[in-house]
Amino acid sequence: MALPSLLPLDKLDPAREWQAWQPDATRRWDRQWAGHLYRRAAFGAHLDELRAAEKRGPQATLDLLLQGQPECDDLLPALLTAGQLTATADEPDSLRGWWVYCMLHSGHPLREKLTLFWHNHFATSIAKVKSTREMFNQNKLLRQLALGKFGPFLLAISRDAAMIHWLDSNGNIKGKPNENYAREIMELFSLGLGHYTEKDIREAARAFTGWHTDSDGFGFEFAPRLHDDGVKTFLGQTGNWNGDDVVRIILQQPAAATFLVRKLYHFYVSETQEPTDGFLEPLADAFRKSDYDITALVRRILSSRHFFSDYAFRQRIKSPVEFVLGAVRSVYREYDAGDKRHQPLTQQNLVRYIDAMGQLLFAPPNVKGWRGAKAWLNTATMLERDNFAQALAMGKLWGNNYFRGNMSRVEPTFPPASTGAPAGQPKLGDQPEEPPPPTAFDPARVIHEEKAGSAKDIVRVLLDVYLPGGVRPAAEEKLVAFVAAGNPKGAALDRRIRETVHALLTMPEHQLA
Amino acid sequence: MFSRRQFLTRSLQGSSLLAFGSMVPEFIANTAQAAEKGKDTILVVIEMSGGNDGLNTVIPYGDDLYHKYRPTLGYQKDKVVRLNDHLGLNPGMNGFRQLWSQGQLAVVQGVGYPNPNRSHFESMDIWQTADPHGNLKTGWLGRSANELQGPSGFIPILHIGSGRQPPAIQGTPGGAVSINDRQNFQIDLGGGTVAQQKARRKLLEELSAPDGKSEEILQFVRLRQLRTMTSVERLHELLSKQNLRQNTVYGPDGFYGPNSLPMQLQLVANLIISGFGTRIFYVSLNGFDTHMNQVEDHRKLLAQLADGISNLFNLLKNGGHDKRVLVMTFSEFGRRVQENGSKGTDHGAASCLFVTGPALKGGIVGEHPSLKELDSGDLKYAIDFRRVYATLLDDWLHCDSKAVLGGKFEHVEGLKLKKA
Repeated sequence: MALPSLLPLDKLDPAREWQAWQPDATRRWDRQWAGHLYRRAAFGAHLDELRAAEKRGPQATLDLLLQGQPECDDLLPALLTAGQLTATADEPDSLRGWWVYCMLHSGHPLREKLTLFWHNHFATSIAKVKSTREMFNQNKLLRQLALGKFGPFLLAISRDAAMIHWLDSNGNIKGKPNENYAREIMELFSLGLGHYTEKDIREAARAFTGWHTDSDGFGFEFAPRLHDDGVKTFLGQTGNWNGDDVVRIILQQPAAATFLVRKLYHFYVSETQEPTDGFLEPLADAFRKSDYDITALVRRILSSRHFFSDYAFRQRIKSPVEFVLGAVRSVYREYDAGDKRHQPLTQQNLVRYIDAMGQLLFAPPNVKGWRGAKAWLNTATMLERDNFAQALAMGKLWGNNYFRGNMSRVEPTFPPASTGAPAGQPKLGDQPEEPPPPTAFDPARVIHEEKAGSAKDIVRVLLDVYLPGGVRPAAEEKLVAFVAAGNPKGAALDRRIRETVHALLTMPEHQLA
Repeated sequence: MFSRRQFLTRSLQGSSLLAFGSMVPEFIANTAQAAEKGKDTILVVIEMSGGNDGLNTVIPYGDDLYHKYRPTLGYQKDKVVRLNDHLGLNPGMNGFRQLWSQGQLAVVQGVGYPNPNRSHFESMDIWQTADPHGNLKTGWLGRSANELQGPSGFIPILHIGSGRQPPAIQGTPGGAVSINDRQNFQIDLGGGTVAQQKARRKLLEELSAPDGKSEEILQFVRLRQLRTMTSVERLHELLSKQNLRQNTVYGPDGFYGPNSLPMQLQLVANLIISGFGTRIFYVSLNGFDTHMNQVEDHRKLLAQLADGISNLFNLLKNGGHDKRVLVMTFSEFGRRVQENGSKGTDHGAASCLFVTGPALKGGIVGEHPSLKELDSGDLKYAIDFRRVYATLLDDWLHCDSKAVLGGKFEHVEGLKLKKA
């Protein structure tokens, strides 16, 4: 576990920290670090995946994560067709379920995770866009460019219909500029505060005039008659600029690379450290020189000594998506469709819990996205995490639309208002025990597979699955005592194991990524 | 004032948290003073996020310049909720009519701060930390919680909503508490005997026990988990015992559904009536970033605001609780005076806010900012928002505003309580 006695970042040598990590005797490539990589780069891993990763080594594991499973390229067109069909139904929750399906089953979780990063970066909400089709198109764009070059990405997002509607670009016309997009492209998408003036915003808005949706509403169209073709001075450069020029000039600013690198640092490495620009410079410099190659940057971060260190281990709070999908991936076993133990996952229950924990996909709270980090955890959202853990561990999640949390939402509107049904109340007093879940969803299964006998062994196996890297000894003792109490056997032991898994999932260490 | 030991025994009776000695309950213990009678006042703060168009909220309908700057968005005399010969409220705000006529509504005009920041996020942080220089990480309400009196084990600040906790309440001892307007308020421990449920509950608490040795992020999560376990069930108990006051609130566009502002304020009313002891409630209403075709959206938002607040006071009248409660609204900035080309308005600076409640001596506070003398197209402020905070902190919450705001701010003339 990371200790409070770590040196501050500015005492470290940045060049050395961002070198590729080679495991050695002091820090071996083991389950702790394989789990760490899978939590950050993807949505966690089950025991078999962790074992395979241990054998493969860190570089080969990262290669696999960056390329995706061999079948993922063939799968993608089918997934996108399914998404497109889902989007025509105009039911946002179905589209959310589709995306969760992609995260779990696309064979390329790193790409999906990064798509989620970009969704939060170019944060656009259906609450205002009001079109599942546009949100799907944008999601497709984010996925397609997630691992490409940032320049074309920024340009494409400036022409994306959902973004145009979200930030009112259709209202941006010659003589009457609407500054909404011009402000956010600099403040939130590329440079950050302090690297431009209010005047730059006004000039950029003029350059973007006429960047509208087409008559269909789903595509981009440049409207020359609504475009201001006068001379503008933007970030010190004067000319008859249009939107392409604004993007080009933005990417000439050194601040652009630093801004994105910093954001990815918090996403992949740590939320508890605030590095100086100098510490990030080796990454930012390479990012600029590579013409903003996102794949190269991601690879560099995820293979670095710094990433595989106490500066990163459990230094982030899991987002609701990470918390829910990580737990599901630990519990669930995917049997072949022919196996009698086969049970498909249902996405919609997961969507509802993720929402109740504060991350309604396709509906970030505003253009800055979800604040994340400590903001994920408050009394309301913590309770949802606890109760999700209970439903998952006891195998109750997979019934017909099981949801016991705060489902009082319908789609957010703009302005927001919603409606729904009150949740059921558990009663106090003795209750009938839940029936054992199907094998595919049963957290007790692993104990039989691993042939763990004593309470100590059982806890060790469970920690290996759910918290590779372990927990403090005092907590481990409490867990052992809980499993051992009354010396349960057979079905009673299985039940006790599920209860223990519930406790593990609520543990503070398990809230950390 | 209880001793800490007494406090522990009382507020955590039956909970295994007691087993951890001094570490856990400290965060509750330092807010465990009981409030003196007459000093149990309550402030409800409503955040209007996105930047409320103050000029179309409190409308200078008698000013020709207003109609010149707002050719398509402007409201004529016959449309506004009339306040006087010069000013009127947005037509959506019919719900404020009664509060105004009874002298319980203060309309504070021209509120802002020097060198206005037009970024949503920066300006929102400035309002919430009460620090235009961006040095403070805690919120003005969170800092005031250290000084608030309340019953034993009380939760000084409650945030209604499942979104992130607002910066304004950061710094609350032990972490501020958030709830949704319709939540279970119960940790699900599944089936089985009561004994087994208790054993499971005990395990959860033990696994989250702080130890003083671990790093900050882990301690943070542990405290959040414990805070959740100790507070949600107390809420559950209170709200189920109580004969909850629930009514359907109708606005100009139909009734308000769950999670709407009026329903969230209804939960606030129920918590106040049930004697929950919280002194500050924080609620937000989103959607004020009206760059385009704003008339309808803006009117509906303001209707929610006015209808929600008037319903809150109607519920509180029962038992005379309304006299203990003041509501304050705010937004991160106003909007540009000149409407833009898409029947909307871009980010601006100074704006108006409302303070309301039966304890208040209502009226128009401050001058409407001049439409002649603008600051690069925006209204100029006359009242620093921290003066509003200082007035409410000192006079209403009985907190030392100097300690909370890091300096002495002159009270706002005209923002006054009725003589008791």
